[in-house]
Amino acid sequence: MEFWRRAANPWGQDVLIGVSWDLMWAAVVGAVIFLAGHAIWLRTRPAESHGTPAAAPPGIPERIERHSLAARIFHWTMSASMLVLLVTAFAPVMGWQFPWVTIHWIAGVVLIATVVYHVIHAIGWQDFWSMFQLGVGEGIATLRHVLSPKAPAPPKAGKYPFDHRMYHHVIVVVSLAAIVTGALMMVRIDTPFWTRNPYLFSDSVWGAMYVVHGLAGVSLILLVAAHIYFALRPEKHWMTWSMIRGWIDREHYLEHFDPAKWDVTEAGGGVSGAGGAGALADASPSARRDD
Amino acid sequence: MAKIRDMIPAFELLQPTSVEAALNLLDEHRGEAWVLAGGLDSFDWFKDRVKRPSVVVDLGGIAEMHGIREVTNGLEIGAMTTLTEVVRHARIRSEWSVVADAAEHVATPQIRNQGTLGGNVSQDTRCWYYRSGWPCYRAGGNTCYAAAPQAMNREHCIMGRSRCVAVNPSDTAPALIAVDAKMIVESSKGPKVYDAEDFFIGPAIDITRMTVMKERDLLTRIHIPSTWANAEFYYEKVRDRGAWDFQLVSVAAAFQKEGDRITAARIAVNGVAPYPVRVEAAERIVVGTTGDEATAAAAGEAAIEGARALRHNDYKIAMMRNLVRRAVRSVA
Amino acid sequence: MAEKLVGTDIAPPDLHAKITGRARYAEDFRAPGMVFAKLLLSPMPHARVRRVDARRALAMPGVIDILRADEVPSRDGPREACLTDYPRYEGEPILAVAAVDEETAAAAIEAIEIDFEPLPFVIDPLDSLRPGGPNAYVEGNQFSGQDGWSEFRWTAEDFAVIDAGGMPDPSCPVEWTKGDPDAAFAESALVLEETIVHQSLTHHPMEPRSNMAYWEGDRLFAFVSTQSTQQTKFALASALDMDPENITFVAEFCGGGFGSKISGTTVMQVPAIFSKKIGRPVMLRVTRYEENYIGRARPGFQSWLKMGFLPNGKCNAIDLIIVQESGPYGASDYATAGMIADLTYTPQNMRFRAVDMFTNTPPKAAQRGPGGAQIISMMEPILEKAARELGVDRLEMHRLNAPRGDVKFGPRDSTLTSVHAIEALERGAEMFDWPAKVALSGRRDGSRVTGVGIGLSPYTAGSRDRDGLMIIRPDGKLYVHQGIGNLGTHSIADTARPAAELLGLSWDDVVIVWGDSSKGMPRSTVQAGSQTTHAHTRANHAAGMDALQKVREVAAATMGGAPSAYRVDGGRVSGPGGTMTLGRVAERAIQMGGRYDGHVLPEDIHEQTIPAAQMLAGQGLMGVARDNYGGEGNVYSWVAGFALVELDEETGVVALKEYVGITDCGTVIHPRSLGAQVLGGSIQGMGMAMTQRWVFDPKWGVPFANRLYTARPPGMLDVPPDLKWDAVGIADPTTPVGAKGIGEPPVGAGAAALTCAVADAMGGRCLCRTPLTPDIILAELEGRTGVGRLEQHVG
Repeated sequence: MEFWRRAANPWGQDVLIGVSWDLMWAAVVGAVIFLAGHAIWLRTRPAESHGTPAAAPPGIPERIERHSLAARIFHWTMSASMLVLLVTAFAPVMGWQFPWVTIHWIAGVVLIATVVYHVIHAIGWQDFWSMFQLGVGEGIATLRHVLSPKAPAPPKAGKYPFDHRMYHHVIVVVSLAAIVTGALMMVRIDTPFWTRNPYLFSDSVWGAMYVVHGLAGVSLILLVAAHIYFALRPEKHWMTWSMIRGWIDREHYLEHFDPAKWDVTEAGGGVSGAGGAGALADASPSARRDD
Repeated sequence: MAKIRDMIPAFELLQPTSVEAALNLLDEHRGEAWVLAGGLDSFDWFKDRVKRPSVVVDLGGIAEMHGIREVTNGLEIGAMTTLTEVVRHARIRSEWSVVADAAEHVATPQIRNQGTLGGNVSQDTRCWYYRSGWPCYRAGGNTCYAAAPQAMNREHCIMGRSRCVAVNPSDTAPALIAVDAKMIVESSKGPKVYDAEDFFIGPAIDITRMTVMKERDLLTRIHIPSTWANAEFYYEKVRDRGAWDFQLVSVAAAFQKEGDRITAARIAVNGVAPYPVRVEAAERIVVGTTGDEATAAAAGEAAIEGARALRHNDYKIAMMRNLVRRAVRSVA
Repeated sequence: MAEKLVGTDIAPPDLHAKITGRARYAEDFRAPGMVFAKLLLSPMPHARVRRVDARRALAMPGVIDILRADEVPSRDGPREACLTDYPRYEGEPILAVAAVDEETAAAAIEAIEIDFEPLPFVIDPLDSLRPGGPNAYVEGNQFSGQDGWSEFRWTAEDFAVIDAGGMPDPSCPVEWTKGDPDAAFAESALVLEETIVHQSLTHHPMEPRSNMAYWEGDRLFAFVSTQSTQQTKFALASALDMDPENITFVAEFCGGGFGSKISGTTVMQVPAIFSKKIGRPVMLRVTRYEENYIGRARPGFQSWLKMGFLPNGKCNAIDLIIVQESGPYGASDYATAGMIADLTYTPQNMRFRAVDMFTNTPPKAAQRGPGGAQIISMMEPILEKAARELGVDRLEMHRLNAPRGDVKFGPRDSTLTSVHAIEALERGAEMFDWPAKVALSGRRDGSRVTGVGIGLSPYTAGSRDRDGLMIIRPDGKLYVHQGIGNLGTHSIADTARPAAELLGLSWDDVVIVWGDSSKGMPRSTVQAGSQTTHAHTRANHAAGMDALQKVREVAAATMGGAPSAYRVDGGRVSGPGGTMTLGRVAERAIQMGGRYDGHVLPEDIHEQTIPAAQMLAGQGLMGVARDNYGGEGNVYSWVAGFALVELDEETGVVALKEYVGITDCGTVIHPRSLGAQVLGGSIQGMGMAMTQRWVFDPKWGVPFANRLYTARPPGMLDVPPDLKWDAVGIADPTTPVGAKGIGEPPVGAGAAALTCAVADAMGGRCLCRTPLTPDIILAELEGRTGVGRLEQHVG
């Protein structure tokens, strides 16, 4: 299997021009193996018990807002653009040929816009730090539990469980790599706003950029496939629905989350004083939320 | 690797005598076989050592791909028929003169004696960045050197670009579009028929190919239907010198008339896009008119709608407009 | 009755060999054990070789050895070596590999791992002239033998003027002035200022510069593609620092050189050195692709011109600035261009400034009419523009400005031996029917507009003081030994005619001996500057006179009477004592020995002729002499070209409809060959002006249009089938035969007639650049974006 595509530049110098498309196929195969493996593995495990639902603090609403409308619009716009980017990037290589470049860069622009929006929104209006809790102990416990069903279940999470946070971080790194390199690559195509210039950087710098973009792209095949898979798994439907409807019910809230770590809001309503935020101030910067 | 040119590397030469055998060989040598027609494009690639197939399948010995046959609805030209045969064929000259005319504008008599109609329409672009073996998009790389701001792109395209800005070099392609020819492409999966205008594809679809043909496909025949026989034709090729030169811009047109009114028109231009362009906007303007000067001017303007020049080829926009105008004017 | 040989059409002796393919060019020779060499060319326009690893290549079966730059002669400064580790243009040879066959050698080249350090480069000389611009050499952009390297720039103020479209007033390393141009401009009724760009373009001879060599002991056998022969042998000896008499030099045919192979080629050293290293004959077949690089090119000009005219149309002042794109190893076209501008327009007041700028493009060399062709093709349309503005007939304008016999031109007031430019113009006007044709100027047929133009082009056409060597053998035939090369012009045979005619021989009794130094070659000119016909009709005339005198003396000694009483004709010498055949005379000469059979040689012949004459001594009656005819003044020939074109305003395509070329080249030796030169040269000039091109990518500094189909030299469909030519036919009085050369001047005439006719068809608008390809013309006519005003190398 080839990892890189190399070529002699016009001066005969050996330069990287991108990742090998073998990696794309490897990512596809890897995704299939992982998903199938996971499904089988899950079947072999005893049914998951999330322990006793936490004693419901007073005032927990029936429907708890998990994703605001703005967050949902962001998510689905980003998902659509990401899917379009992946399809327009890889389908032509796989043999489905169509004029993909314009769609790809427009989807890229949409993705950039949504990401910029998301960053601003998350910093300004969302519980930004809830996504960036370190949670080392939580991670170790989660890992132990995954490896051995007998290991105690990890402590219940705040708004974003450990695996969600990890996925988010990985996708942030990978997407930003794709976005930054992709945005720079826009210099190389004609748009209504500028004429292309392939010589903004040297060919070796461009080559590195293509490699990063390509690696990010094939990584996204895996990441997006996994994300969709988990979203479609029956035991996760309640979570998936929350990205559509915006709320989860009290039952799932109490079953999966620690009310002490997640201040909840009634879907479409005001703040419900669950309290306890101060007790977690060290571990959860959610105290800093300002909305 | 140091670069050296003008020395053809060795290859295994396979010379099938039937289409079926050729297709079998292409299947057998999948990924390594090169299809050789007249060789005028192929040997340029080989001697530059840019394309280095290990197996070359020479179609020269396939009798069924040679010659021009009368069929019920027109003529069928074997893809391996030489351009000279096309030029000299009495019925083509009289009924589809635009095809003979276009074929006669190819290169030189020697090249027309060796070059085939199938090869002429299937040939690769002559973009010199690409032909120099540079790692451009078309060559599988990630740059179009010809579209860089300071690039030498006088011969390149003014429309239809998609990362690549090369043009289709075929002289006969626009003429075949003008007569609504059908291209019969065979593979081990069976034959497929394409309208001539759909046979050519742009880089937006696949940046590494000029036509619909993929590996293991063979263009075996070209069918010229009677529909446009004895229409009024126009062909013009503008080039830098009188022979042995690819077009800057060429136009081929067919007009059907009732009285002095144009009832149907097909106009195709080459040298302006990575594929021969059928200018339907101009055709629509022309139909129903006498091809008068005002119509010709309007058709010319319609043809260049959306054209955009590179650093050195702004002239092509005017040249294309003028050639379409002349084509229309020719029937007035 | 003696056959009339001067002025008649005679089939050249190599005709059958050429048309039957039996002619042996350098690459047709073989030697036992011969191996093939291939070159590794630089992929970059300016670089330094950091590392070469040839182990994998040398381990390949069939690979013999590698030749590196440190094994070949090199000199400091901007001087070319046949191999280099400091390439200064893309395509410069770095090393050579020898193998049992070319495919193996090619594969070995590809197996060599080589690492280059790219260096800054210059493609357009104006870039290097700009303040802070790049240099073609690490050391600078100007070189002098005394002071070494330096950087030369024009000032920001100069470029401010240039960028604003004006004519700068820069300092230049080359400058001369005659008369008082400023005062003259003040008196001019019309002053025109133009910016001119003339392209650089490759020579593209049909035969690439292939060659083969081997050694037997200390003797080198070299088989070379070259324009000259005897002089190339000495050039090769000089390059290899060896005794020329230890070289057997073979160059029987040359498939064109156009100035690119004058005294051989730099690359001819490679097989000689390589074969010595490996002890086997080495053949280096140069391909078309390689020829594009290591073949030579005409330097391009970027130029500013100011011309002043009196009310009657007489040019009274010229101010000319030339920036020459000189490649990495220089060229001197600009100097000739200045001289020719002064000669052709006789302004009496002229300032000439020039700067030749090193660039990282393939090397430049003389190309047919070097300097003259460029400047004439650019200045003639400006002269015609002045005619139009002053209301003077253009023919009259050319006639008025053309030089007379008493012309003094250039910085040192050079003179001419003869000039009949006005007669050429008048004869051309008559054949072309100028009054009728000029009336068609501007005529419209649909989108096609008629234009007519005249180009008057001079060039050097002779030299003196060479030697002639010939022998009448006992078979009664005259063997004329030629040291000149057989470059396809027929001069190899035609220059022998005066001698044969003097000796009253029929052409069948004349044998031309050429192309092999082992057969004896007298000191000759290089085949350049159109010297050959002039120089060697003189030299052979001198040797023929020597032979004639000796024949008479032998006859008188044999049969009695005074030598002067004997007449030589029809293969016999006859006089008061009787008659004898020239074969018998040859036998007697051998018996008499001494000066008659070459055992005693004239004291004034060149030392390079002596070994050849000594080699032939005793084989017959020897005619050997130096050209002592003397003479004052420069020898120049002229061609007046008249063209009628139709310019299609909708496509920018120019169709040449009629062309007449009239030459003043003295006595006509061989009409058919002369016609081929006048028209062939004119067509080459038309290609230079209209179709041919060379293009460089400015980012990577590499040329395109490397193939004949992309370089587009003109073909037979680019000219009408009935091109016409004639010669004034007035003998040059300073040479015994009266003949001058003709190779160079038609190029400028053909080019200028076209550039003038195109300008005429455009209503007098001079684009002042070459090539005038359809894109450039159409962009101008349509008011669309064209090439930059001063851009070089855009084709």
